[in-house]
Amino acid sequence: MIKVMQGVRVLEVAQFTFVPAAGAILADWGADVIKIEHPVRGDTQRGFLNMGGVTLDPLRHTLIEHPNRGKRSVGVDMSTPEGQEVIYELAKQCDVFLTNYLPQVRQKNKFDVEHIRAVNPNIIYARGSAHGDKGPEREKGGFDGTCFWSRSGIAHAMTPEEFESPLSQGIPAFGDSIGGMFIAGGISAALLHREKTGEATELDVSLLSAAWWASGALISQGMETDVWMRNPSPKSGGSARSPFNGNYTTSDGKTINLCINSPTGLIRDTFEHLGLPELADDPRFSEPLNLFENAGAASDYMVKAFAAKPFDYWKAHLQTMKGQWAPVQSFRDLLVDQQALANDMIIEVEGADGGKPMRLVRGPVQFNHEPLETTRSPQASEHTEIVLMELGLEWDRIEALKAAGAIA
Amino acid sequence: MKPGTKLKSATCDSEVMIIRCGKGQIECGGAAMTAEKSAEVGSPSEDHAGGTLMGKRYVDADGTYELLCVKSGKGSLSVDGVALSIKDAKPLPASD
Repeated sequence: MIKVMQGVRVLEVAQFTFVPAAGAILADWGADVIKIEHPVRGDTQRGFLNMGGVTLDPLRHTLIEHPNRGKRSVGVDMSTPEGQEVIYELAKQCDVFLTNYLPQVRQKNKFDVEHIRAVNPNIIYARGSAHGDKGPEREKGGFDGTCFWSRSGIAHAMTPEEFESPLSQGIPAFGDSIGGMFIAGGISAALLHREKTGEATELDVSLLSAAWWASGALISQGMETDVWMRNPSPKSGGSARSPFNGNYTTSDGKTINLCINSPTGLIRDTFEHLGLPELADDPRFSEPLNLFENAGAASDYMVKAFAAKPFDYWKAHLQTMKGQWAPVQSFRDLLVDQQALANDMIIEVEGADGGKPMRLVRGPVQFNHEPLETTRSPQASEHTEIVLMELGLEWDRIEALKAAGAIA
Repeated sequence: MKPGTKLKSATCDSEVMIIRCGKGQIECGGAAMTAEKSAEVGSPSEDHAGGTLMGKRYVDADGTYELLCVKSGKGSLSVDGVALSIKDAKPLPASD
């Protein structure tokens, strides 16, 4: 497998998912990612006992594997001067410093940008935060559930007005995993800039900024029109201005989604596939502008048509339809979706318990059509001695650091 | 034994790297571990068949010994017959 980040070394001083996920993407791409963990506690994420009511096995911990595969773990206590020295020695030999520690902790433990740049002026300093590195709340932490989902407006926009309270994020680390990819993209650009100009930059991605970018089409429209859309209540039928956009319920209670935004040339084909060929000749629906004008009437016909046949019929029958549609699937369905499988969605790493391999998903970018190959995430402090010796520390020094509790 | 030395089990596939050690006998599966792989690999004794996990560190009660498992196997580690235990991270409890 090609490793586009081969030769790039990343020092990751980060916990949880958002920022470690950026390290995982860079490791997927071939970077040598050294993850610093607390020598006793490890990444706080290792302490997650339950996710969504499911109890996790610490040796098969999917919430550790997803954002940490392909890395090596070094245990360093950064609150000690000896530990800080180790960080500086590592930083000297790294291209990227990646962190999500809060500004006051970076200052207290002396690994803020000025401390790291003092030992390596050419290092790219990448920060992931909850609320951004500027403003009165820069010292306040948060998770994707708070910043990406709730504070950003996403929860509000996702939730139909009629609902009593907002939808929750529902998918663990949803905003984190999206945002982590943004950080990895930023780091890639910063590495390219440094390569071309010799200048090392700082960069910031917050969970809030990840959310406003992901929601940018709607936020921009709202700023322009001052009309603020929210998700309509789920029902079978088309949208207010397009019957070809909407969810339609099948006879067995499942759903087909239509998303034919630009219906020119597709009206007859669509109605024929739905068993409503006569509507293509009806002047209310035969041209796009008329179709938009009479959306409700067309939707009523289509609701009845979809309700007459089961999901599996529609899935097979719509294969030849030219317009855009999808079955509404579950993640369980995705695991056997031929397109997900043909594009190498699922990767395998060894189970740390020595049992069967663990299945994870690859990042969204694929190079040269090649499936991702990587390794399981490290145990806490698994590679301390190996990494430190690689970087030139003598064994006596390693022993002294261990005795002082600065490393594990 | 020097720190950094790799030892191999005589009873299974286990391999460890010595991080810290005293003067006792390091064993796996109840039999002494050696720098060279023995020609004939036996099997772990019943009392020492808990297995090793790659990437885990194994320590004794008073902190004289620390072994990093670099290859897992069916035997478990001991020093002079006393079982070593896993040195695990002790993360703070979290839940969603």
